[in-house]
Amino acid sequence: MRIEKAPPTLYDEIFDKEHRARPHCRGLEQWLEQADEALLAEKRREADVLFRRLGVTFNVYGEDEGIDRLIPFDLIPRVLSAADWQRLQVGLRQRVNALNRFLHDIYHGYEIIRAGVIPAEQVFANPQYQPGMQNLKVPRNIYAHIAGIDLIRHNDGEFYVLEDNLRCPSGVSYMLENRRMMMRLFPELFARMPVAPVDHYPSLLGETLKAASLQTNPTVVLLTPGRFNSAYFEHAFLARQMGIELVEGADLFVRENRVFMKTTAGPRAVDVIYRRVDDEFIDPLAGNPESMLGVPGLYAAYRCGNVVLANAMGNGVADDKSIYPFVPEMIRFYLGEEPVLRNVPTWQCRLEQDLKYVLDNLEQLVVKEAQGAGGYGMLIGPSASRAELDNFRAALKARPEHYIAQPTLSLSSSPTFVGNGIAPRHLDLRPFVLSGKKVQMVPGGLTRVALREGSLVVNSSQGGGTKDTWVLESPSC
Amino acid sequence: MLSRAALSLFWMARYLERAESLVRLLDVSLTMGLIDVPEDRQEQLSVPLLVTGSRDTYSSLHNELTPHSLIEFLLLDSRHSGSVYSIICNARDNALQVRGNLSADVWESINLTWLELKEMRTNGVTESSAGQAFDWIRARSHVFRGAAYGTLLRNDAFRFLRLGTFVERADTTARVLDIRYWLASQSDSEEASRPFFEWNALLQSLAAFEAYQTIYGYTPDAMNVAELLILNEDVPRSLHACLKEIAGLLEQIEGDRGRGAKRLATSLYANVKYGDRDYIKHRGLGPYLEDFIVRIQGIADRIETDYMGWQRS
Repeated sequence: MRIEKAPPTLYDEIFDKEHRARPHCRGLEQWLEQADEALLAEKRREADVLFRRLGVTFNVYGEDEGIDRLIPFDLIPRVLSAADWQRLQVGLRQRVNALNRFLHDIYHGYEIIRAGVIPAEQVFANPQYQPGMQNLKVPRNIYAHIAGIDLIRHNDGEFYVLEDNLRCPSGVSYMLENRRMMMRLFPELFARMPVAPVDHYPSLLGETLKAASLQTNPTVVLLTPGRFNSAYFEHAFLARQMGIELVEGADLFVRENRVFMKTTAGPRAVDVIYRRVDDEFIDPLAGNPESMLGVPGLYAAYRCGNVVLANAMGNGVADDKSIYPFVPEMIRFYLGEEPVLRNVPTWQCRLEQDLKYVLDNLEQLVVKEAQGAGGYGMLIGPSASRAELDNFRAALKARPEHYIAQPTLSLSSSPTFVGNGIAPRHLDLRPFVLSGKKVQMVPGGLTRVALREGSLVVNSSQGGGTKDTWVLESPSC
Repeated sequence: MLSRAALSLFWMARYLERAESLVRLLDVSLTMGLIDVPEDRQEQLSVPLLVTGSRDTYSSLHNELTPHSLIEFLLLDSRHSGSVYSIICNARDNALQVRGNLSADVWESINLTWLELKEMRTNGVTESSAGQAFDWIRARSHVFRGAAYGTLLRNDAFRFLRLGTFVERADTTARVLDIRYWLASQSDSEEASRPFFEWNALLQSLAAFEAYQTIYGYTPDAMNVAELLILNEDVPRSLHACLKEIAGLLEQIEGDRGRGAKRLATSLYANVKYGDRDYIKHRGLGPYLEDFIVRIQGIADRIETDYMGWQRS
């Protein structure tokens, strides 16, 4: 089949600048060359039917028709060499360790602030900072039990961290279901290439959640906002895979600062809550009083140390875009190591000279809201219209502290099935890092791909799709 | 297990059983309508409406009782909460609530039924394609049962699911028996063959025709049919078989909360287990069944309050 190759200015995951397959991707190249377009189209329809039957669907906010939409799935896997993964793993472990140390610090001794590494107002004035977490002892000092770190590869071939997700990172079910799908559709490919397995993720997660409590055999539940949440499929999937109860707020209650669930055999005490409900909604008595998703009294029970929340409350301050520029410094400060993974250079618009630079170079930059997520409220300078640029310029001047800016990175590309052949499309990578008794991850993650030609936005809410992510096991790669 | 999940499993199974029963009932009524003389045809067609108590809803939507509009109403009409479409929609909704407790096979069997039913609704069902649609729904019901039986852990989730199935089934058997018995007793003066057709239809709609032939081997008569469908423990849809399951399942559920439900169920079970033809004859089949319907409803209510009736306190 015809394969359109990426221009040499881009880094392609499969092909080098001379359009030859990278050494670890030769097997995939052969497969692609032999693949027949009609067969791929057929397999894609099969995948759609299977995903739909499985109910792997999501909802798009603000879109009525969006109920039960499928995230487009690309049949061509994204491949990482063993060496790439080795390096990523070291870097991810280091980064998540430092972030957990940071969270513990800003709720206890404030050493990093006192040392002048991070300005106090960046922490304490952050709306995500939870004063209620101060001096609260959490088991093993772990705050981000589950972290999703968004990475991209730049055209220099290096990985850069785009964002840390330390609240309720989602997408891991796609990592698992995409793999299952690929094994079903193309078993012969797995015979040809040594793909590292990922399907032990739920047991690692279960282990991590158990380790979040110091009790010997804690009762763990997964708290979901319910079936109208865009990630409900994932919540149900993980609960089932781990053999724990999938609860909604109304299934729990608090009595004498202990959390119980309402079971057919009476109240049953809960020790660990893997919560997929945001801080603000978790307890109407502590956060948003309108919240129907939470449990009245839960925060108080948590503060008494009677229940563990995973992830902890108040993590948002550490994955905020205004704290992001300081992560390399955190790694040096807490671990005394040089960061393995790079940060994207970031201009903090709250600083006068940074703001000036951003305003002068807006056409070349990406501007993001410090607290935005999901690809909303974002300006991509090079592709923005004059009006969009003007709007952002005004917004930047009005509230500079709400924005950060970064150079427009050229996300790496990978061959993607586009209907009339195979063409390069941009992608990112979200590995999931679990912190319990030790820091663990499965080899892989969620690869999101921007399906529109030239697009750099990989979010599923804005035309992004997913791919299976292969980490190759053979050390020769 | 979680009370909310138990409630969803219970209702999910009730709805799925209900869809299958409704289709059996509708199938038989349409066939009987063909055999019957024209004036009785209307009566045959009205049986599914009488059993499900939906005659008023039907007349608010249709002027005439025709096979075509009956199929439309009972199979695909989303305005009617008792149509197969609405019932499966509810079942799937409940399944979605408890996905965490279902095996992938069970969930996919229900979800696929829902997806294909939506397609069926788009394409429409005519009198001539109705048979296919009925077969398909029955087959989907078998797939669900098979998936549940073959893949679910035998824990309380499984037990609440099975409870839903048998509560619904007992209720349906009693209702169908009650209506058919009443119809048969209405017309014995005019036509000798009429009761025969009624009993035949009854046995067909409860999938018990072959069982009757195997056990009695003769032309159906009221007391034999009653004995078969009420007292015979080996007939899958008999009241005895259903109550045996219900009482047994309640017995196995963990915890001490279900005392009321257990008391009611065991007592009704004893009633069918130790009942006999003479007892039923003496009470009269009609009154006997009407009492049964009230009591099975009482058990269903009690299961909900005992296990799932959490008040925020």
